[in-house]
Amino acid sequence: MKDEAGMPSPSNPLKDATGLGAFINEPVLELRRAPVRASLTAALEELDGRLPLRVPVLVGGERGADAGFESTDPAVPERVVAQAGRATESHVAEAVAAAGRGAREWGARSAIERAVVLVRAAAALRGRRLELAALMVRECAKPWPEADADVCEAIDFLEYYAREALLLEHGPALLQVPGERNTMGYVPRGVVAVISPWNFPLAIPTGMVAAGLATGNAVVLKPAEQSPGCALALVEALHGVGLPPEALSLLPGFGEVGAALVRDPGVHTIAFTGSGAVGLDIVRAAAETPDGQGHVKRVVAEMGGKNCVIVDSDADLDEVVPALVDSAFGFAGQKCSAASRVLVHEAVHDELLERLTGAVEVLAVGPAERFGTDVPPVIDREAVERVAGYVEGAGRSGRVAIRGQVPDGGWYCPPTVACDLEPDAPVLSEEVFGPLLTVERASGVDAACGAIERLPFALTGGLFSRSPATVARVAARLPLGNLYVNRGITGAMVGRQPFGGNRRSGIGAKAGGPDYLLQFTETRVMTENTMRHGLVVE
Amino acid sequence: MPHGEELLTRVGRDLHAALPSPSRHPIKALDAKGMELASRDAELRAALFRLVDVTPACRSLDDLARHLAEYVEEVDERPQALEAAMRVAHTAPGRRALGAAAATGVRHMAHRFIVGESPQAALGVLGDLWKEGSACSVDLLGEATFTREEADRYAARCDEALEVLSVAAGSWPGRHLLEADSAGPLPRVNLSVKVSALTPLMRPDAPHVGREDAAQRLRPLLRRAQDLGAHLHIDMESLDALETTMELVFELLDEPEFSDGPSAGVVLQAYLRDSGQQLDRILEWARASARRPPLTVRLVKGAYWDHEVVEARRHGWTPPVFEVKAESDRNFEELTRRLLDSRPRKDEAGMPSPSNPLLRVAVASHNIRSLAHAIAHNRATGGEDRDLELQVLRGLGDELGIAIAASGLRVRSYCPVGDLVAGMAYLVRRLLENTSNDSFLGEQQRGASIEDLLAAP
Repeated sequence: MKDEAGMPSPSNPLKDATGLGAFINEPVLELRRAPVRASLTAALEELDGRLPLRVPVLVGGERGADAGFESTDPAVPERVVAQAGRATESHVAEAVAAAGRGAREWGARSAIERAVVLVRAAAALRGRRLELAALMVRECAKPWPEADADVCEAIDFLEYYAREALLLEHGPALLQVPGERNTMGYVPRGVVAVISPWNFPLAIPTGMVAAGLATGNAVVLKPAEQSPGCALALVEALHGVGLPPEALSLLPGFGEVGAALVRDPGVHTIAFTGSGAVGLDIVRAAAETPDGQGHVKRVVAEMGGKNCVIVDSDADLDEVVPALVDSAFGFAGQKCSAASRVLVHEAVHDELLERLTGAVEVLAVGPAERFGTDVPPVIDREAVERVAGYVEGAGRSGRVAIRGQVPDGGWYCPPTVACDLEPDAPVLSEEVFGPLLTVERASGVDAACGAIERLPFALTGGLFSRSPATVARVAARLPLGNLYVNRGITGAMVGRQPFGGNRRSGIGAKAGGPDYLLQFTETRVMTENTMRHGLVVE
Repeated sequence: MPHGEELLTRVGRDLHAALPSPSRHPIKALDAKGMELASRDAELRAALFRLVDVTPACRSLDDLARHLAEYVEEVDERPQALEAAMRVAHTAPGRRALGAAAATGVRHMAHRFIVGESPQAALGVLGDLWKEGSACSVDLLGEATFTREEADRYAARCDEALEVLSVAAGSWPGRHLLEADSAGPLPRVNLSVKVSALTPLMRPDAPHVGREDAAQRLRPLLRRAQDLGAHLHIDMESLDALETTMELVFELLDEPEFSDGPSAGVVLQAYLRDSGQQLDRILEWARASARRPPLTVRLVKGAYWDHEVVEARRHGWTPPVFEVKAESDRNFEELTRRLLDSRPRKDEAGMPSPSNPLLRVAVASHNIRSLAHAIAHNRATGGEDRDLELQVLRGLGDELGIAIAASGLRVRSYCPVGDLVAGMAYLVRRLLENTSNDSFLGEQQRGASIEDLLAAP
């Protein structure tokens, strides 16, 4: 399709039979315009005046304790951003019981009624978007462009799943023969436990919660202890637009709350995004069927990655360098999709390494609130120490090509490039989740593919090549969930780049894609005999 | 419109009549044929672009031929000549021959747009242009700047170019029309510089960062230009660089050491919806500035249309550019009038106003209608021909340049200098411009009548 200016217009596969309008991605703010930047700075000032936020334990609409632990600003750790109640195991049991009741009420509503609530919640987030971006700047040191994109992605999930759920209301057509009527449909599974991370403190919990709710389930949300404030914003948005209070509970807290939640026999589906270790623990726990639990739990898990980018000899380094810098160092490398390993054709290895180190040298490390900051602090002290450990290890089994400067105070980690590494260096196979990028020399694209195939992870990856045959070969060979060609490897958009890992990086369908919601449903097929005394009574 | 369409049409017809006939340039006629083929078939055009784009990165003729074969593979309806060429790509000697032919073709195309690999190597062409009546502005092509070293290297190349060009230009013969307007002498040496090449810190959401860093490299270049009596023109790039560029230029030119020079200029892109406000800003600065040499404003349509539209659509923004070509063309004329009208008028007795003009006006376009409009409006409002500069691009507007010079008007050719690798992004942009369906040159090549070419947008 082309419009009058001759540009392809975005095609939209989602039918607009819903009355909700076709899905479009929420536009990010145009930060290159000064007044837009000023509005964000003003929103941050306003937010600062209200800190710390109070985040209660919220079970079935009842506000519980709101003092138990604190989230702090990674750039200024003394600054308390939110004070949250600390959920206990008894809260877990109450929340799951409430969700059981909530699921009956919410699941009885029609898909369109549920969709309307989700779309209204999206509008509520949209109305608070400046404030929410500011909250992410403070609570997670997420720089403005990424913080704004996080809000947009949350809005997208609500809007997208609302529409997708409507498409699921009538199951697919089945073969029909005379004398029988076959129908297939989807029903909610019941109670969804959502355990979400801090790195997309609004978008990821919103995605998992919205998927559960859109399909008629009730949800108990356990957000990361680093970002309870952002999670509260989501819960408020949904409760504020007519979601039954028992259909969504909020349990701020630490790992033990999540562990109790996934083990509760009242939970039917567990949606998790986080580390591989926790993810596998959840899978094991989900296999248990204690007495009184009449179902097997289903797990949807997004776990770690070791995301590699292949650069072939015909790549355009003018494109490669900025794409790598963004993918590896944006948000200090704390995206599941962030680039951490580059495998470069030997013909361009030295040139790329030189340009890359020079580009990393000029990156501005600083607080997320400052426009012009390229690398913000990482989330906490533990992260600083973990990344430092990997940098030290990279120095021992190779060479640190560049290590940036960091300001004082705050959980800053210098952006680092390491090279000439021994093949068995841990940094080449383990997830770092910080601003560290390794560069390796490869004899060719096929050797690089071999190295990637040997990794247990298969989340995102990239290829820079201007040969259509090479692109086709690599795409067919790599097991990755999301392969990006000739661009950065982060920034998946709802409906455009359904996102999720394969192999040890995750189990389940791609978030923000057309088959995600099915995981939150049970399928029912009905076959009715329509023959009565030799007469077809359809 | 004070001058009316009638004067415009007369000027346009005269300019059109002064165009050299295509037969004077048999090789360019061949090029035009290839371009026309490419503009008719989107797949063929894509294959051509991808080939040109990858050529400098190919390690061997075999590698180049392999890429070419893969691109052609994706074209559904292949012209017969291409089909035959592809058949030879199955053997190693065939690929070498094909690769050699492709490399020659791309080099030939590059030479049409790029006047030399270095300023030294470009001197012959630049001197010839001067003698034939065209001034030039040299643009040093380069790879993108991501590091301090790359920014320093670009600044050093600019510095060297100013030096080399100044030495050579000293021996060029006198060309009165090219060397002075009513505001005073015009430098023979004119260098266009790109701010994005002067700093690795271009950040659209933090213009001050790039501005402060680029200032450290632009300042010495301004001093150098001042010493050599050269003109420094700050190019405009995509919208992401606009704030940084404008703020940088205004800030530096206002520094006391530059109050007497050098001659300097900026670019106004008519395809931007808010280009009117950009001009307000330029005028406001010029009125407040104590600088003596008037700022030159080069009015262009804008060369990043596809980029701006695609970026905007990708983010869900309203494109910052006019999406209908006629709107851009109308805005171009509107801005032309505003620029020309900003200059002091002769008084009623016909005596020139004593005040220095705020701006010098350069209109850069290959659209005969746009050029004729500028010339006619200038004349109709009492301006002198020498106070309007017209600019064309080397490789695209050569014939037009000849016609402008032959009509006794000042023309300046924008002349890129650099090697093939560095020039590739530029080359692709130019090809895109030349093969786009609604380009003026395309219309002209397809034999549109002069009436159509001069019709109001």
